[in-house]
Amino acid sequence: MEHLRQALAWRWRQVERPQLWLLVGLALALLPHVGRLPWLLILPAALLLGWRLGFELKLVRLPSQMLRWLLVGLALAATWASYHTLIGRQAGVALLVIMLCLKLMEMDRPRDVAIVIGLSYFVVITVFLFDQSLLMGGYMLLVVTLLTTALTAFSRASAKLPQRANLRLAATLLAQAAPLALLLFMLFPRIPGPLWHLPSDGGSASTGLSDTMAPGNISRLSDNGAVAFRVRFAGETPPQDRLYWRGLALTHFDGRTWRNPNETRRGLDVSYDIEYTATGAPVDYTLTLEPHQRRWLFALDMPAGAPPRSRVSEDVEIIARDSVKTLRQYTLRSYTEYRLGTGSAPRDFAYLSLPSGTAPRARILARQLRAESSDDADYLQRVLDFIRQQPFYYTRRPPLLLDDPVDEFLFDNRRGFCEHYASAFTVLMRAAGLPARVMTGYQGGENNPLGDYFIVRQSDAHAWSEVWLRGRGWVRVDPTAVIPPGRVENPADLERIDPAYAARTRETPDWAKRLWRQMGFGWDRVNNAWNQWIIGYDQGAQRGFLSRLGLEDVDWQRMVGLLFGGLGLVVALIALQLFRHRPLRRDAVGEAYARFCRKLARRGLPRKPAEGAQDYSQRVIPRRPELAAQIQHITLLYQRLRYARAAPRDGLRHLKQAVRRFRP
Amino acid sequence: MSLIQRLSPARFLRGEGPEAGPGKLRQRRVFILPTRQGLLFAVILLLMLIGSINYDASLGYALTFLLAALSVVAMLHAYRNLLGLRVDTGPAEPVFCGETLRVPVSLENPAGQTRFAVSLHFAEQKAGQGRVFCDVPADSWVRVELPLSARRRGRHALPRITLATVFPLGLFRAWAYAEFDASVLVYPRPARATPLPRDSVWQTDLSGDGGQGADDFAGLRNYQPGDAPGHVHWKTLARGQGLHTKQFGGDHAEELWLDWQATAGDTEVRLSILTRWVLDADVAHYRYGLRLPGQTLPLAHDPRQRCRCLEALALFKGAEPDIITLKEYLG
Repeated sequence: MEHLRQALAWRWRQVERPQLWLLVGLALALLPHVGRLPWLLILPAALLLGWRLGFELKLVRLPSQMLRWLLVGLALAATWASYHTLIGRQAGVALLVIMLCLKLMEMDRPRDVAIVIGLSYFVVITVFLFDQSLLMGGYMLLVVTLLTTALTAFSRASAKLPQRANLRLAATLLAQAAPLALLLFMLFPRIPGPLWHLPSDGGSASTGLSDTMAPGNISRLSDNGAVAFRVRFAGETPPQDRLYWRGLALTHFDGRTWRNPNETRRGLDVSYDIEYTATGAPVDYTLTLEPHQRRWLFALDMPAGAPPRSRVSEDVEIIARDSVKTLRQYTLRSYTEYRLGTGSAPRDFAYLSLPSGTAPRARILARQLRAESSDDADYLQRVLDFIRQQPFYYTRRPPLLLDDPVDEFLFDNRRGFCEHYASAFTVLMRAAGLPARVMTGYQGGENNPLGDYFIVRQSDAHAWSEVWLRGRGWVRVDPTAVIPPGRVENPADLERIDPAYAARTRETPDWAKRLWRQMGFGWDRVNNAWNQWIIGYDQGAQRGFLSRLGLEDVDWQRMVGLLFGGLGLVVALIALQLFRHRPLRRDAVGEAYARFCRKLARRGLPRKPAEGAQDYSQRVIPRRPELAAQIQHITLLYQRLRYARAAPRDGLRHLKQAVRRFRP
Repeated sequence: MSLIQRLSPARFLRGEGPEAGPGKLRQRRVFILPTRQGLLFAVILLLMLIGSINYDASLGYALTFLLAALSVVAMLHAYRNLLGLRVDTGPAEPVFCGETLRVPVSLENPAGQTRFAVSLHFAEQKAGQGRVFCDVPADSWVRVELPLSARRRGRHALPRITLATVFPLGLFRAWAYAEFDASVLVYPRPARATPLPRDSVWQTDLSGDGGQGADDFAGLRNYQPGDAPGHVHWKTLARGQGLHTKQFGGDHAEELWLDWQATAGDTEVRLSILTRWVLDADVAHYRYGLRLPGQTLPLAHDPRQRCRCLEALALFKGAEPDIITLKEYLG
């Protein structure tokens, strides 16, 4: 055992440290890709890293050229098998990772090392294509420091310096580069991407709402605390019950699942003019949407327009030109009081269609209620009353619905989540001949008291209905909201049903919970700032920043001028600091003693050029006996500082002090 | 130095010509360009920028800019790593043709920070050959011996020295030329063992050296001030018999004339043979002299005789000797 340990320790000392920095840096750079890339590629990459480490430990040999080419072929095949393509974001990253690890098998010339380190930096940027959070940014800064250390270690060639000095050097270089990088970040003209159309990724998982709604779709989000988006209102915050964040309209129903027809029926890129009258005050806000890999954007009901690079659809959904793959920030105006489509009835029969044979009992109920009511509005109210009066419960874990979800929910179980209510309500409307659609989106949000903005989480996902009434246009109806608080199973859901009631009844959390909550808000605020200033910093934000500096309407030529002017200035400052003449550490002891001699010289007792300190004091003391004690003290201190094996503690300070006080 | 001179490409490629004393590397003598690795790094940075634009990745921009800024800072550091160094050379021991000269070069760093991984080599040497790396600590100096292969005999001006560094990241190479008003001496390559010209060995001159040599013990005489301490006979002093100096007899020293005429072949072959004879004669403690066309070095045997002879051989200019031989032959 001891023998083995010693053998390993010996081999460990043999490893060349630059290689070690590189291997560790690369492994840490690849770590976030674990889980994102298929195991078919991650495992070989890890094996190749291990192989190189084994080679550095002098345990294994590197593969022959033949074997290397074979491995390249296998890597290509594995990538193809995983993605059926070699380009695009996912497949491209996978290919880069596996090829880089293969390059480790032939890394002996400086050029190979440069390629490996350069591509390792590139791996860091590929991680940012998937995750740009603050934590990931901090982690990657560490990785970049390690890779830079590898670069310094390799370029030092002969120098035998402790590796810690290399690490310190890399950190120093990065710190000196930081102001320059900041300037580039702020002033480099941002070009709105993409430069070419990106091949779509089948593989990347979308989060949040989908474009279909079947029982269970939304309730699965109810425990998901991930942030969907954050909102900062420019003025007054609208009341909680008006915070309906509009997402997609689902108009097609097959008896179980509601679908958004945009992909199939209508062109996604056709813009519509909406017949729309605002009746209240406008609400201005900036929304920062977390990437959800889908094309639709969210807006407060009802948006007055669409942000750049997006369009408004017929059902007033905001559809972006590209799917949201990175954090997206936009400023919008909405009216929470509005009239929409008040003119003629919607021509599209899709708002009325129900698949034949589904929900027979619901159709009977609809006919019955419609016959009893005076008009459409009255009918709508009667349906809501039905839900309120019958024993409907609101639960996160609704029972399974088997054959006819609508009928089973309305008449048998009567326990459901918002999607059940929205679905059943819309079916009842259509059954009575009222055009209706299901809307999905988010409802409510949590104010972050530390940052004065709203956090909307995936757990706030919601579904409601929109019904067209003659004379009033499309009206938003939230059937879930009519359920009395007493029939809400989970107290946490009360917020959604009746915010006022929830506020009254909420038990005061103990201090630990409060603290935890407060810390959560603090952390979210930091993340929000990160998103606002770093991730969301695009062309618009850049303009905003420059106009805040008093530079309105900067065209790109001026911006480049500004950039280079600033860069020149910062480089000059760094150079000034680097090239400043640093005076050598002077002989402080000698200087203090020289000052003492000068003082005596002014009194006509200069030290002779070859006179030692002892001789000098012996010559001077008889001439100025009143100074004897001081002269002896200074001379002794000087001698001890100069010649004693161990210098006295604070000797220099005492010597300086004594010389200062010495007044011959 | 005028602006035109300062910007001339010749200065860029060849430096500024020789100088006598220690040379300080000032701004205008230090050049800097990206290395091959640096260019590769630039290409990767460009790809990273394109990727960041295409995917609208803000942290991608941040990383790209951080690395770009890092390379700018590395450039400044590389430049600083050479700036202000003082370079000087000392005399190199002469060597024989085909051997390697070791030229002492001192690097002085008057600044407060260490200069790391400074490489030195003679500009004319092939890449990678005879390159010496050193670190120069702050406020200190180091001395290195720079190898220079001696390919031709004679006295040669010291070639230009290139000082270079890729510190700290290997992305930029800063370099400077140092040229000195100094020379190195290369003796001819000694021929393979060639017997000494025996016929001339026994032409002894009976006058000898009067017993001043150090070869054969001849007896003692009274000490005179100025006698070498190594020759004092300490044993007689210990016996209380006073100071005596050992006397060596040189009267039987073998004398040897190394004559150009005794050799055959072309100039370099003859010089090689003569060089070999000088070495052998020196080792064998002969009193020897050298006769070259147009130059004669008298008989002597002291440590400097070897140097004198070898230098004469090194600096020997050909052409004439053959004509002389011809004249002698004709008449």
